[in-house]
Amino acid sequence: MKKVSVFTYLVLLLIALVTPFKTFAGWPIGKYRDLVIPSFSYYTQTDHFDAKGNQIKGAPGTGFTSFSMSLYIGYGISRRLDFIATVPFLYTMNRLAPGNTITNQGAGDMVAGLSYNLVNFNYVRFLSVQVSGIVPLYSNTNGSSALGFGDFGSEVKLMFSGNLPASIFDKGYFNAELAYRRYYSSQGPDQVSFLGTIGYPVTKHSQVSLDLLLFRSYSSDKAYNPNFFAERDFAFFKPSLNFGHTFTRRFSLFAGGYYVPIGLNTGVGYGGSVLAVFKI
Amino acid sequence: MKKISCLTFIALTILFASTLKAVALQQKEEEAEETGDVTLRAIPQGKDAIFKRNENILYKLQLQNKTNDSQVGEISYLITTDEGQKVSLDSVHIAMRGNSKKELLIKIPQKKTGFYRLNFMIKLPEYDDTVRKVFGVDPDKIQSQLHRPADFEAFWKQSREQLEKVAPKYKVIERRDLSTEEKRVYSVEMQSYENFLIRGWLVVPTDGKKFPVHYRVPGYVVGLKPNMDSDDFIAFDINVRGNGDSKDVINVGTDNYCLINVENKDKYIYRGVYMDCIRGLDFLCSHPDLGIDTSKIYVEGGSQGGALAVITAGLDSRVKVLTMQVPLYADIHDNMSISASYKSQVFPFKVFRKYNSMHPGFTWDKFFSTFDYYDPQNFAPMVKCPVLMGIGLLDQFCPPRCSMALFNHIGSTNKEFVCVANSTHEVNFNYFMFQNLWLREKFRIP
Repeated sequence: MKKVSVFTYLVLLLIALVTPFKTFAGWPIGKYRDLVIPSFSYYTQTDHFDAKGNQIKGAPGTGFTSFSMSLYIGYGISRRLDFIATVPFLYTMNRLAPGNTITNQGAGDMVAGLSYNLVNFNYVRFLSVQVSGIVPLYSNTNGSSALGFGDFGSEVKLMFSGNLPASIFDKGYFNAELAYRRYYSSQGPDQVSFLGTIGYPVTKHSQVSLDLLLFRSYSSDKAYNPNFFAERDFAFFKPSLNFGHTFTRRFSLFAGGYYVPIGLNTGVGYGGSVLAVFKI
Repeated sequence: MKKISCLTFIALTILFASTLKAVALQQKEEEAEETGDVTLRAIPQGKDAIFKRNENILYKLQLQNKTNDSQVGEISYLITTDEGQKVSLDSVHIAMRGNSKKELLIKIPQKKTGFYRLNFMIKLPEYDDTVRKVFGVDPDKIQSQLHRPADFEAFWKQSREQLEKVAPKYKVIERRDLSTEEKRVYSVEMQSYENFLIRGWLVVPTDGKKFPVHYRVPGYVVGLKPNMDSDDFIAFDINVRGNGDSKDVINVGTDNYCLINVENKDKYIYRGVYMDCIRGLDFLCSHPDLGIDTSKIYVEGGSQGGALAVITAGLDSRVKVLTMQVPLYADIHDNMSISASYKSQVFPFKVFRKYNSMHPGFTWDKFFSTFDYYDPQNFAPMVKCPVLMGIGLLDQFCPPRCSMALFNHIGSTNKEFVCVANSTHEVNFNYFMFQNLWLREKFRIP
């Protein structure tokens, strides 16, 4: 009979050690619970990669900068099924030449859908699938917009998340996401991305994480556009380093920076982001 | 382009390999350690070995011949009821080459509601073994008779009135020697039923102002220590009389504890024990200043602790959530019938039968005339809060049928149970992981 109590201790200890900070990746949100994540990000570029991956120096006074704010909302409908939605608001500055800057602002592409936990591996690792629809929240005049493609789309994403194997790290988590997105237009694009994340707590309330994003967008429209919200055919590899701090059980803050060292037909960009996680 | 393709390929390989490894690890964890020249694994169709009345019982048998010699023989499978009565016996012929594996699918016709013992007996020229399993059929439909005395409620009302007359005289002593930067540990003392001094351990996380409470009640003569493992709950572990550091008056071993005054319902040990659990609740509810969220108290226990937990939740609505594992003494009448079929007796009837044999005047009627006031099943209809129960299907101390009978009498409709197919008197890691998520769901803990 003692076994039960001792086992409880051991398990609760383990739970305390392994519960991940970053619950908004492939982990189920949890029935009846909500996640609200406002975020702000900054991106800028002056140089770009050509279609062969060569780095091309930008002309003096030219470049592209964007500021974006977005609101992510997640709601746990059941233990396995979550509703998620993201609404971005963009402000872009496309510097075509010294003194010639085009600015645009407005809501971007809303992504809304459902995430379903296919398998849980002993409640330690989770394999989930997410299916979303993409709805442009801006008008698309003449078939183009600086805020996006202006087309409806859909995305399917497979996510595998959980605690790092104890044989490698005594704590920490990982998240891997493989996504396919398609915009319903004759020029697409079709986009495939892979995001790998490893997070490691450095103190009880703080963590660092490394994101590695591989992104490929395919389209018959091969033209280079410094505004990546409107560009169709490109690829890049983007590592980012983040720092997160949990202030309370309901509030955490993450900040990070990134750089694009490898790309095709895209900007040599860098920037940063700040996001707040509210668990309600 | 080459670089990106290469990175993509590496990333996908890692993702695929990780998924496969996770699946393999899960399978490995589920496999019992097997030794011997020939091994037999019996895997139910559903992981929890629970079936519906209108479906066949399916088991996959995995055989491995680790010898160099061919093996020819048979596997027979015997199904008996909880009372050990034969339901069916069947067999299949097997022939295996040396160093080979084989899988068989065993299909057993539909069965009535209940639990069944299923023994797979492998018989080869040089090797015999029996693999024991239990499966359940619609356990949520198991019905049992409540043997509730007519004055049951009056008896417990009177017990509570007597408890209320005892001034608690709480003492809360901070134990800096046991505290850490993250947890403050308090030793708690209080006077309980019949003026017994009982003690407990309160552990308060320093990282917050108000917390829900994990109130743990002890297993059979098990001393509870400060529970330092939860960051999201205040942990209160009570040592009821005769347990842990509450042995000032009663200090007996496991063979005698449940027999103290068993012939007198008014003086039986568990009357005070049950009231100790209520006194622990009194303590929690009178100390919100320690950060206790008195609206979020969950009571938990395993074995005797499971029984104490259901009784505490039944007697007192201040308990908002109940979780229990393998509740001891549940449906004590049926437990006696089932245990009669065991080849060798186990607790609790090992102790009760021994006492009965040594005390000729102590009839079973007399035993039940006391124990019917204490059978946790009789408290189950009074439980109105959300409930989670975990049981082990191979448990002989608390037979699954008895635990499910109790569960089905619980007055709350917000209740769930988890069957662990290969566990005896315990549950497994998965159960506790699920319990943790379940509690977070019930209390909306982020």
